Amino acid sequence: MKTKFSIFDNSNHSINWWVLVPAILLAVFGVIMVYSASCYNAEKNFGNAFYYADKQLIGLILGILALTFCYFVDYKFLAKLKYWALGLGILLLLIVFIPGIGIESYGAKRWIGFGSFSFQASEVAKFCLILFCAGYMAEHQQSVQKFKGILPVLLAGGVMCVLIMLEPNMSITLCVGAVCLIMLLVGGARIKHLVMLSIPVMALIPVLIFLEPYRIKRLMAFLDPWASPQGEGFQLIQSLFSLGSGGWFGVGLFQSRAKYSYLPFSESDFIFSIIGEELGLVGAILVLLVFGVLIFSGYKIAIKANTRFGCLLAVGITSVLAVQVVLNVAVVTGLVPPTGLPLPLISAGSTSLVVFLGAIGILLNISRQSAVNKFHTAENPFGKKWKLTKKVSTQK
Amino acid sequence: MPQTEYSIYSLQKRLLAILGIVAFLFLCLFGKLFWVQIIQGKTLQTKAISQWTRDLPLAGLRGSILDRNGNTLASSYTSYDVYVRGSNITNPSEVALFLSELLGLDYDTIEEKASKKNVSESLIARQVSESAVKAIINKDLDGIYITETSTRQYPYSNLLSSVLGFCTIDNIGQTGLEAYYNKYLTGINGYTMTESDITGLELSNATTSFVAGVAGCSIELTIDVEIQKIVENVLAKIMVEQQSKGASVIIMNPKTGEIVAMASKPSFDLNNPPRDNTELLMSLSKNSLITDVYEPGSTFKLFTLAAALSEGITSVDEKFYDPGFRIVDGDRIKCWKTTGHGSQTLVEGVCNSCNSVFVDLGLRLGVDKLYSALTSYGIGSATGVDFSGESSGIMMNKASVKNVDLARISFGQAVAVTPLQMITSVCGILNGTLYEPRFIKSITTNGVKKEFTSVSKGQTVDQSVSKQILEIMEQVVSKSDGLYSFVPGYRIGGKTGTAQKYENGAVASGKYVSSFVGCWPVEDPEYVMLLCVDEPSAGQYYGSLVAAPYAKEIFAGIFSYLEIEPTNLKEDLEKLEPTVEVPNLVGYPLMQAIEQLVKLDLQYVIDGENGTVLEQSIPAGQKVFKKAIISLKT
Repeated sequence: MKTKFSIFDNSNHSINWWVLVPAILLAVFGVIMVYSASCYNAEKNFGNAFYYADKQLIGLILGILALTFCYFVDYKFLAKLKYWALGLGILLLLIVFIPGIGIESYGAKRWIGFGSFSFQASEVAKFCLILFCAGYMAEHQQSVQKFKGILPVLLAGGVMCVLIMLEPNMSITLCVGAVCLIMLLVGGARIKHLVMLSIPVMALIPVLIFLEPYRIKRLMAFLDPWASPQGEGFQLIQSLFSLGSGGWFGVGLFQSRAKYSYLPFSESDFIFSIIGEELGLVGAILVLLVFGVLIFSGYKIAIKANTRFGCLLAVGITSVLAVQVVLNVAVVTGLVPPTGLPLPLISAGSTSLVVFLGAIGILLNISRQSAVNKFHTAENPFGKKWKLTKKVSTQK
Repeated sequence: MPQTEYSIYSLQKRLLAILGIVAFLFLCLFGKLFWVQIIQGKTLQTKAISQWTRDLPLAGLRGSILDRNGNTLASSYTSYDVYVRGSNITNPSEVALFLSELLGLDYDTIEEKASKKNVSESLIARQVSESAVKAIINKDLDGIYITETSTRQYPYSNLLSSVLGFCTIDNIGQTGLEAYYNKYLTGINGYTMTESDITGLELSNATTSFVAGVAGCSIELTIDVEIQKIVENVLAKIMVEQQSKGASVIIMNPKTGEIVAMASKPSFDLNNPPRDNTELLMSLSKNSLITDVYEPGSTFKLFTLAAALSEGITSVDEKFYDPGFRIVDGDRIKCWKTTGHGSQTLVEGVCNSCNSVFVDLGLRLGVDKLYSALTSYGIGSATGVDFSGESSGIMMNKASVKNVDLARISFGQAVAVTPLQMITSVCGILNGTLYEPRFIKSITTNGVKKEFTSVSKGQTVDQSVSKQILEIMEQVVSKSDGLYSFVPGYRIGGKTGTAQKYENGAVASGKYVSSFVGCWPVEDPEYVMLLCVDEPSAGQYYGSLVAAPYAKEIFAGIFSYLEIEPTNLKEDLEKLEPTVEVPNLVGYPLMQAIEQLVKLDLQYVIDGENGTVLEQSIPAGQKVFKKAIISLKT
């Protein structure tokens, strides 16, 4: 039964359905909603109602392939790639600034494009950072309790945050920052250090806001969107119109009115408004509950992971998902100031979908290995397996 | 491994804490979603629908304006606005060619509008006729849209222009009664609501709903259009014959305050106001009879007379002597007839319009009594007419009125009134009760009619005083003033006035307002008329010569319209029998000429400062009636 460590681990195919089913459900549902939200504009602008839906469907297929691949790859192998991953993440974020390859859109350089193919660098980079953090902290689990020990993680996170901020993309920066924080917390950093760290970061946020005039406008628009219904407040008002029209059970699938060019980014950042409009409060909450199941299962996998690396990786992946879902829905409902952030697995964007599904594959792999090697007992939930992990990694 | 144990223990706890935070945040999201979708849902949905649909108005026709006998003065008919929506047009040049030919518009402008893809409707033409719209519908081109609107029309075009006023192109009352009664006249627009995208493009499966418009109330005025026509014809004649800057008439019923006719020249075509010339438009659309003041001159003497008779400080038989002036506090106040009227009774004094008599009366009354009388007649305060921008006239501050001022006010100087105020107050003293003047008779909507009643502003003078004034006014018309306003067979009362105009605070030489107030029938007046001629420049300026003859024409016209039979016609006609032959006066010394005329029972006015007659207005040898006025140029 015990095979030598190899990249592909074919030992047992025990699938965690509590992760797979919600993830696939959301991704398929996403394709349908992307079609619904985008069909009018797609027909109008590209002469093809399925323009976005087709891309999303391709993303779904590639994503399932990625998921399958990651499911079969031993995640422990990824720990070795942590520095490569960090390098790749930073490289991608730098490429964005190279004219010709980096694509500027809506005043921000966020995309890397080759021909007709383009993707958002930060979508990949954030997972690279997670991989690095998990790998590094698993390897140096004692030293993270000292401030010096968490410095490499902070440095990696800080560089990425600065680069993303330069695009600029405040929402992803916040998201990456939050995920970093969660990972440090779970990784064993002392709360005292984190609090000390948080103070200057918190102080930086208002500075960043006031650095860019459009952020102040957005903030004001958030506080009172009706003050500028045609200007900064427009998007939020359209989102609220859309949600408000949904009521309890919605206007019916495909029946949204806001999607007729009223709500900008209805197929991507604001797709949740369309969900709320077409399927009502009941539908919206149901979608959030499915996300909830996924997130809960993700953290459960982290707790049950049989390696420290697996645990931290699961925490990172699940946290990205959780932070993005919460932030996205908070934006569309007007709970926080508007900022562009896709809803994971659902919003149009094939890179994001492929990457997330791939990450789900990793989660499933972590889950499978912990299920196969049941090292946990009631008395000693995490067992002595940390040592084993260390051994495995040092052996290599 | 204490550190490891610590880390394992804390990891689980910390993960649970994070899970707790996520769960809490999810609950916050549920709460916010409930707030937005359920609590605020209806409000947001209402706003959303108004944004998600494109509504085009369906005109609710503006109400009609009728005269007192139901003749239409203003009405609206349905017309159509034509729009194009570029996003629905496949062939802009075809649309542009068709519309430019049909509506006689510029091809390029339409083509440009028809080619715009990113905007909602562009307006092509307003208030297009039904026949043109039928042609558009028959052609059945995509992207042309028609909305219902309405066009205001005034069947009498120039008639009553400054009173009726006009509307904006959007049928909102802009001036005159159209503006004053706008909220009653305005119809409530209906609309069609069509589901559309943000650019106004109709959805393929759009539903359209209709809400019909509601017509505005129709209003009936106190104006009698037939009398108005008579008045305006005469005014046009004045403008030509007297070469005056303006001419105006108000006719009012003293028993009710109803304005029967109100006209001023120059006028303009209400169907086609000079919208491009703002300055001209402003000056034409102003109703100067209500908004502007003038110095009334001798017609104002009626008020001094009424006050004096009421206070009992004089009687009709009292004798006054006029040497041609009065000295008041060292100031010499001239009578218009500088040679003086000599000895005369009060009645004769009114007939002669002798300033000295009224100086005496004014000084006898004193400031307090004269002012309180004038105030009760309505002088110094707005009449309250149903018209915007009314002026309340100008009266000197009572405290600063010196005797000299009092003397001048008594014969109509140093005071300014609006023509409407003047006639309203005259009505007040002739009727005994002062009424608010008004244009409105009734408002009707859906068969429900609201009649307006007269608003009394209190008693002015006793009936006996009114009667005395009326008798004196009749004498003015039938025995003096050259009988210029005398209509044989009808008992008319009147009083002329000639006032100098002021410009920048100084008397403008050669500029006068000649006026006449008249009433009929003297027994119990139903019609009171004020006729003003502004700056006559055809040679004469005395009210008796410039205003009275036209007042007579208007009265004669009214009598014929109302089919009122004359009484004592024969006797009256005798008065006008040309029995006196006019002598040659040219070349004679003025005093001799006057002596001759007085002997022949003719009246005269003098124009000039010299002692020799240079010209006479009626040539020698022509036969005239007794009391006729001959103007002598020296």
